[in-house]
Amino acid sequence: MIDTLISQLDNGVSALQTLLYIDVVQPFFYRFGLMGYDEDTYDALYWVLVGVLQVVAMYAVLRPLEALRPAETWRGRGALRADIVYTWIAKLGILNLGFFFVLQPVFDHWQSLMAIHNIPSIEVDALWPGVTDRPLVTFAIYLVVLDFAGYWYHRWQHRFGVWWELHAVHHSQQQMSLWCDDRNHFVDDAIQAAFFAAISLFIGVPPAQFVALFALGNFLQAVQHVNARLPFGPLLERIVVSPTFHRRHHAIGYGHEGTRYGCNFGVLFPWWDVMFGTASWNPAPEPTGIRDQLPAPHGRGLDYGHGVIAQQWYALVRIAQRLRGTRPVAAPGDAAR
Amino acid sequence: MPHHSFIRLTKTRAAAALLAGGLAFSALAHADDKVIVLDSGEAKLTLVDEASRRVVGTEPTGKEPHHLMITPDGQSLIVADSVSNDLLFVDPHSGKVQRRVEGIEDPYQLGFSPDHKWFVTAGLRLDRVDVYHYDGHDVTLAKRIPLAKTPSHITFASDNRTAFVTLQDTGEVAAIDLPTQTVLWKLRVGSTPAGLWMTPGDRYLLVGMTGEDDVAVVDWHARQVVKKIQTGRGAHNFRNLDDGRHVAVSNRVDSTISILDYTTLTKVADITGLRPGPDDMELSADKRYLWVTFRFAKHVGIIDLTTRKLVDTIAVGRSPHGIFFANRAPVYAPNPD
Repeated sequence: MIDTLISQLDNGVSALQTLLYIDVVQPFFYRFGLMGYDEDTYDALYWVLVGVLQVVAMYAVLRPLEALRPAETWRGRGALRADIVYTWIAKLGILNLGFFFVLQPVFDHWQSLMAIHNIPSIEVDALWPGVTDRPLVTFAIYLVVLDFAGYWYHRWQHRFGVWWELHAVHHSQQQMSLWCDDRNHFVDDAIQAAFFAAISLFIGVPPAQFVALFALGNFLQAVQHVNARLPFGPLLERIVVSPTFHRRHHAIGYGHEGTRYGCNFGVLFPWWDVMFGTASWNPAPEPTGIRDQLPAPHGRGLDYGHGVIAQQWYALVRIAQRLRGTRPVAAPGDAAR
Repeated sequence: MPHHSFIRLTKTRAAAALLAGGLAFSALAHADDKVIVLDSGEAKLTLVDEASRRVVGTEPTGKEPHHLMITPDGQSLIVADSVSNDLLFVDPHSGKVQRRVEGIEDPYQLGFSPDHKWFVTAGLRLDRVDVYHYDGHDVTLAKRIPLAKTPSHITFASDNRTAFVTLQDTGEVAAIDLPTQTVLWKLRVGSTPAGLWMTPGDRYLLVGMTGEDDVAVVDWHARQVVKKIQTGRGAHNFRNLDDGRHVAVSNRVDSTISILDYTTLTKVADITGLRPGPDDMELSADKRYLWVTFRFAKHVGIIDLTTRKLVDTIAVGRSPHGIFFANRAPVYAPNPD
C-alpha cells in the first residue's frame, strides 16, 4: 500500500521532472553552452520539485494544525512574511545546490590528489558489504552521520560570538511557525553547506542523495517549528526531535541564552543531546526569541530586522560591532565572548 | 601500486570468439541471456528478457554506474561504479555479480586497447585518466594522468598505443600515448564533446558534440577537424550498425537518433518519435533492433531498424545509461563498447 503510494508519487514527480527538463531547462542549458551540467541538473530537478511539493504538503498539513491547536496565540501573521521568502529559497534547493556545484570541483580535486598520493578516504557504505551498501541502509547511515555533525554545528553556532550573530537571525523570530526553519543568514547557509558538503563528499554521499537527505531533514525541521500543540508522546519524542523539544531550545533563558547557555541542540534526533548532557524534556511553553529583543528591563528592545534584507544586514552590523568590541552586552545572560 | 586480481573462472562457458577482420569480441548466444541496463541514479542494474521485453530482475551495483565493458575473454561484464570507485564484475549473460574490484578511482568510462594490453578509465569527476596494464587477468596501475577538464569517453587507434579521450568542459579531444602514459596532444573540437568512434581503417575520429547539433569529423593524423556532420541537438554517443557502412548517433536534446554513412561522412536518416534523452545504444545479433536508453524518461526503447520506428519501451530505473547484451552484433575494433 505505502510502496504503491510512494511509487505513484515518484512516477508523478518524475513525469513532471522530464516535462520541465525537456521543455524548459535543457533548451536553456543547450542555448547557453551548459550541457556539461546536463545530467546532474536533470537529477537535481527531481529534488527541486520535491522541495516545491514539500512546501505544499507542509502548508496543507501544518497550517490547519496551527489554526486549530496553536501553541501560542498571535495578533497577526505579518511577522512570518520574511520566513516564507526564506522557505522558498531553501526549499527550491537554490542555496544548497549552488554551493554543492561550486564546492564539488574543489572537493573532487582534493579527492583526486588523495588518490594520487595513496591517502585512503572513507566509504561509509563499504563498511559491511551486502548490508551497508543497500540504498536504504546507506541513506540511513548518511542521515545519522550528518545529523551528528549537525548537532555539533548547532552547538558551535551558539558557542562562538560571531557565529551566533549569524544564527541569531534564526532565533530572532518571536513567532515560531511552520515557516521558521529556513530563516537563516545566507553566510551561515554557505558555511553550513560547505561543512555538510565536505562531510558528504568525504564519506561518499552521491549528489542526488545529498539533496534527498536535506529534503527529508528540511521537512522534519519544519514540523519542529510549527506553532501547534503536537505531542509526539514519550517514545517518539525520544527518537525524533519534536516541536515541544525544539520549542524549548528557542525559549529565552530556558533553551538558550545567546552564547552562554543552550539545550536541545539536536537537529533531527535528540539522542545527541542525551548523549552529551544537553537535553531538556520540560514541555512548558515559554516566550521564544532573543533576550535583547525584549523591552527593558528584561532586554534592550534591539531590532533584529523585519524583512529579509534588514535581517541579513543587521547581523553583519552586529558582527562588526562585536569585532570592534562595541557590541553592547545586552541582557543579563548574553555576554559577548 | 595497486594490483587487482580479475575474475578467474573455473567453469568454461560457451566460448566467445574474437572475430577477425577488425571486429571486436562478440559472445555467443546463451540460454540465460539478459539485456543489462545500468541505472546510474539508483545504484542498480536492471535485467530485461530480450525476447519478451519484460523486466525480470535487478541487481545492486555500486554508486553511479554509468558505463560497462565486456572483458576480452568474454567471461565478465565490467560495470564501472564511478562514485564508489570500483569495478563490479557481473556475468554477461545473467547479470549476477561475480566480483568487485576496488580502488579504481572514478571510473566513469572504461575501455581496453585493441590488443588488450591496456585498460583505461576516464574520471569525469576527478579530471583524470588512469592507464592500467592488463595481462588477461589482472590490472596494474601504470599511471594516473591529470587531464582537465571532465574526460568522458574513450576510444583507441589500431596501433594499440594511442587512446583518445573527450574533454567535455574544455571542448577538446586528447590523445594519450599508452606506452609512455603521456598526453601527446589536445585538439579543440567544439562544445561539450562526448562519444568517440573511430572509422574503419583508423581514418577519422567521429566526435558526438553534445553542446552542438553535429558530429565532428577529426582527421587525427593531421590533428584537425575536417568536417561537421549535422545530426541533431545534443549529439552524444555512437553504435555501429554492423553493415559495413552505417553508425547510429544519439541526439540527447532533440531526442532523435541519426544514421550516418561513415564511408561518405554524411547523414542518411533521422529516427524521430523517441522518448527524451536517448543515450547509449546496443544492437541485436540479427542487426534488426537497436536498443537505446532514454536517460530522461526512465525507459529503454527498442527501435526496429527496418522501419526506423520505436516499437517498444520498457520502464527501468531512474537514470538508465549503459546497456549491453551478450548476444549482440559485434562492435568494430578498435572502438570499445
